[in-house]
Amino acid sequence: MLEIRNLHVTVEGREILKGIDLSIQPGETHAIMGPNGSGKSTLANVIAGRAGYTVTEGEIRFDGKNLLEMDPETRACEGLFLAFQYPVEIPGVANLYFLKAAVNAVRNYRGESLVDAMDFWELVHERMNLVKMDESMLKRSVNEGFSGGEKKRNEVFQMAVLQPRFAVLDETDSGLDIDALKVVADGVNALRSPERGFLVITHYQRLLDYIVPDHVHVLVNGRIAHSGGKELAVELEEQGYALYNEEPGRARRAVA
Amino acid sequence: MTAVAPLFTDPYRARFTAFMAERREPDAFARLRHAALDRFEELGLPTRQQEAWRLTDLSALQAMVWQPAGHAPVDAGTLPTLEMPAHRLTFINGRFAPGLSSLCESPGKALIASLSQALLAHSGGIEPYLDRLPGLEAHPFAALNTAFWEDGAFIHLPRGTVLEEPIHLIFHASGDSVSIHPRLLLVLEEGAQASVVVEYGGAGRYLHAPMTEIEVSADATLHYHQIQQEAPSAFHLGSVRIRQGRASQANLHLMAFGGQLARTDLEALLDGEGAHCTLNGLTLGRDSQFGANHVRVEHAHPHGTSEQVFKNVLDGKARAVFDGMIHVRPHAQKTDARQLNRNLLLSRQAQAQANPRLEILADDVKCGHGSSTGFLDPDAEFYLRARGIPAAQARALLVHAFANDSLNRIRLTPLRERLARLLADRLALDFIEGDQA
Repeated sequence: MLEIRNLHVTVEGREILKGIDLSIQPGETHAIMGPNGSGKSTLANVIAGRAGYTVTEGEIRFDGKNLLEMDPETRACEGLFLAFQYPVEIPGVANLYFLKAAVNAVRNYRGESLVDAMDFWELVHERMNLVKMDESMLKRSVNEGFSGGEKKRNEVFQMAVLQPRFAVLDETDSGLDIDALKVVADGVNALRSPERGFLVITHYQRLLDYIVPDHVHVLVNGRIAHSGGKELAVELEEQGYALYNEEPGRARRAVA
Repeated sequence: MTAVAPLFTDPYRARFTAFMAERREPDAFARLRHAALDRFEELGLPTRQQEAWRLTDLSALQAMVWQPAGHAPVDAGTLPTLEMPAHRLTFINGRFAPGLSSLCESPGKALIASLSQALLAHSGGIEPYLDRLPGLEAHPFAALNTAFWEDGAFIHLPRGTVLEEPIHLIFHASGDSVSIHPRLLLVLEEGAQASVVVEYGGAGRYLHAPMTEIEVSADATLHYHQIQQEAPSAFHLGSVRIRQGRASQANLHLMAFGGQLARTDLEALLDGEGAHCTLNGLTLGRDSQFGANHVRVEHAHPHGTSEQVFKNVLDGKARAVFDGMIHVRPHAQKTDARQLNRNLLLSRQAQAQANPRLEILADDVKCGHGSSTGFLDPDAEFYLRARGIPAAQARALLVHAFANDSLNRIRLTPLRERLARLLADRLALDFIEGDQA
């Protein structure tokens, strides 16, 4: 459902991604691991359509459609979701109102009528329990004054309400203690289905104990240096990324 | 100084003579008018060499020859309503319109009347206040108003009077090249409580130059709302002066949405211990609108508190000025005074200028001020868009969020909701206000 071919991306003239190839099928969960500065977040942001990233080569197709030609909102309406590494605080916009606006934007895009107030409320309540979110968080401004854990839970909660077909989780584990991590992982796992794809971006293997991926890719210096099954994550935890930095030969081999 | 703007002042002298020939009012008030016209001529029209007027360009106003406003037909359906029971006085081109005015059944001992009429029947109640409150002595348009006010409202609440329903004062102007100088006098005696909504609007290229004088005596509470929705090519130059007694409360809301050039000069004197004053300003500007608030809060006694929050949202080539002074006299210990100006620019050509000032002559006070100007947060915009919300709606939502907390300070629910709808219309936001609650 998501096909990335030979993706090259520059930020302020500097090349960050140097030819990424990635193919994710419905029902699959892929993990991208890599050291700081390897280009993980750049990949997430390019998929979501954030400004400031220039694609110099390659393409991204989402269900066959050219993703790079779409506005961020169109990508979201097509069923793409990015769980932000740093969720933004938006004072003055109530969480619940924001969610409703998002749900209605997607429905409007699909030519559906606005969501029924009762149906929406039921959906919200059901999904709130999924990430053990307190009802008071709905009335608060989006992410304003939320703890790190609350912000990440709010991301997964939004995902649960919007029910995208494909979700990118950008370091959703960073800043979480183990209990919060479990809650977030449970929320994600509950959404896994044969129709839905996930791309989980993380620095640490820890998250992948809870969200067990089908495939693991190691991103180093803007290239996928190695790909493998879930056992690769454990290997990395033991050996670290140094191996890839120090052995360019192996990196090249992995790409080939 | 007399020769500064002869185009403007000379017709006024002739107009004044004609005007006074028509007036029938006690001598004491006629003397006030004469003195005021002398003062106006002495002050002259402001020039941009004067610090207080440096940022206000009056050339468009000065290029016109202003005439007294005559009668004008008005469609009552176009006048704003409060959508709740209210004591309502309407003024069309500065003249009282009894047919468009009505009082609720029980104003009690409160007097809510046309100032012109009250001047004949209750001059003793007016004389101690009219043009006697301190402040804005050097403001030419305040002087001009005293010379030329034709009518306006006189609100008098005797000691302990608590008015249940709000007072709704509507000033509607109509015509081109006409200048209108409405006068408002609000007197709350000790312990009285009232909520007042003053609305300015109209059609045409007119000048509304109102002056409001407010006395809030000890332990009295006033909620004052000024809603400025002048016509797009109209001018608004308003003056407000307020004196507060011991432990009184004044909550002043200055909402400014219309006009080609609109400016309010306000001076609040906290003239008793423990007086509390809040100023809540919201200006929306677009196209080439200019909006300004010049505010002076004078702390004269100990334990006074004041809080000013002035927000401007500027699109197109709109400009806004906030000039705020907090002055704490030596005697006014334990003063707590805050001032905040926040500007949101929606276009690269929009401009906000802030001139926050503190003058503190007491040594045991808490005073703070701040000002910020910025564009919409691109990260917040992207966050909303990444959830499927179209760019235009995302921007509107963020603007609404910025402005809405000014509206949320207004306690009159129907008024707050009307202004929220107006804000939403301006932003082309398609949502129901109730959703935000």
